[in-house]
Amino acid sequence: MALALSACATKKQDMYQWGGYDGLLYEAYKDPNKVEEFRIKLENQIAASESAKQKVAPGLYAEVGTIYLQSGAKESAVKYYKLERDTWPESKALMTSMIENIERRPTKEEIKK
Amino acid sequence: MKKLIFILCALVMTGCATTNVSKKDFSAFETAAPRSILIVPTVNHSLDVDAPNYVLSTLPVPLAEKGYYVFPVNTTKVVLEQEGLYEGDLVQRQKPEVLAKLFGADAILYVTINRWDAQYAVIVTTVTVDFDYRMVSKEGVEIFKENKKLQYSPQNNASGSPLAQLISAAINAAVARAKPNYMPLTRMANNDVFVTGKNPIPDGPYKAISNK
Repeated sequence: MALALSACATKKQDMYQWGGYDGLLYEAYKDPNKVEEFRIKLENQIAASESAKQKVAPGLYAEVGTIYLQSGAKESAVKYYKLERDTWPESKALMTSMIENIERRPTKEEIKK
Repeated sequence: MKKLIFILCALVMTGCATTNVSKKDFSAFETAAPRSILIVPTVNHSLDVDAPNYVLSTLPVPLAEKGYYVFPVNTTKVVLEQEGLYEGDLVQRQKPEVLAKLFGADAILYVTINRWDAQYAVIVTTVTVDFDYRMVSKEGVEIFKENKKLQYSPQNNASGSPLAQLISAAINAAVARAKPNYMPLTRMANNDVFVTGKNPIPDGPYKAISNK
């Protein structure tokens, strides 16, 4: 029991640096005005992890990409979705279809690769 | 504070008693051997309309730290909304095989909020969270199931270890607000189910790598 409590209290996390992801997401759900703050702080964490040569936590690139997508910044969205895809092979199917969706939308042209 | 520990211990015991055996059978889980977990929007049976998103925000970190690729929960939510699936119960009525294929996920985690409330009384206020956790493989086979209920009633005469007091203080402060903050109990419930409890899920592939 003591172990369970201490694990909760110290939030022992050794694999990734999250930069407060869960708390920021909670804040963004509570107050939509904080979505930008969520994105900026995630980007700061991503930059910090990259410069420390640490693997960026799963999902962080994609979450930033989605906020860009929702604000209409398609190029930035694609950039972050590609980073997620290249970092995490498990995300490849989803990221690829999201990128194709974005690239298809404005031009209506077929994507040739 | 002793009372809190007593309550928590009692809850842990109750959780185990329902399974009859002390150790869970993880053979289905191990057969599925998921690398990635899709956490879909939660189903809400509480009266708090904000609870589903709040609970959702607490789920990715413990599972990713357990060694799995966890699909980004907000991105997942946005994708599902584009498919017209706005509510957790609508998502949970979809075939898991179809959802798993849509995202390329090995497993799906469904969480149902049974309780998320505070009962105000003259002397003590009781905060309760109660969640069902259910994981299904991409083939639609159930590979993990757990319920976790945690309650907390802050006492004025709190005494005990500094750590226990810290938790007590955090929850006390939360309860003191007009709208209590359920997050400490929610995080504790998730941790107990996935990481620190008696039958946590097996470590994922990335944990195995980092332990080598």
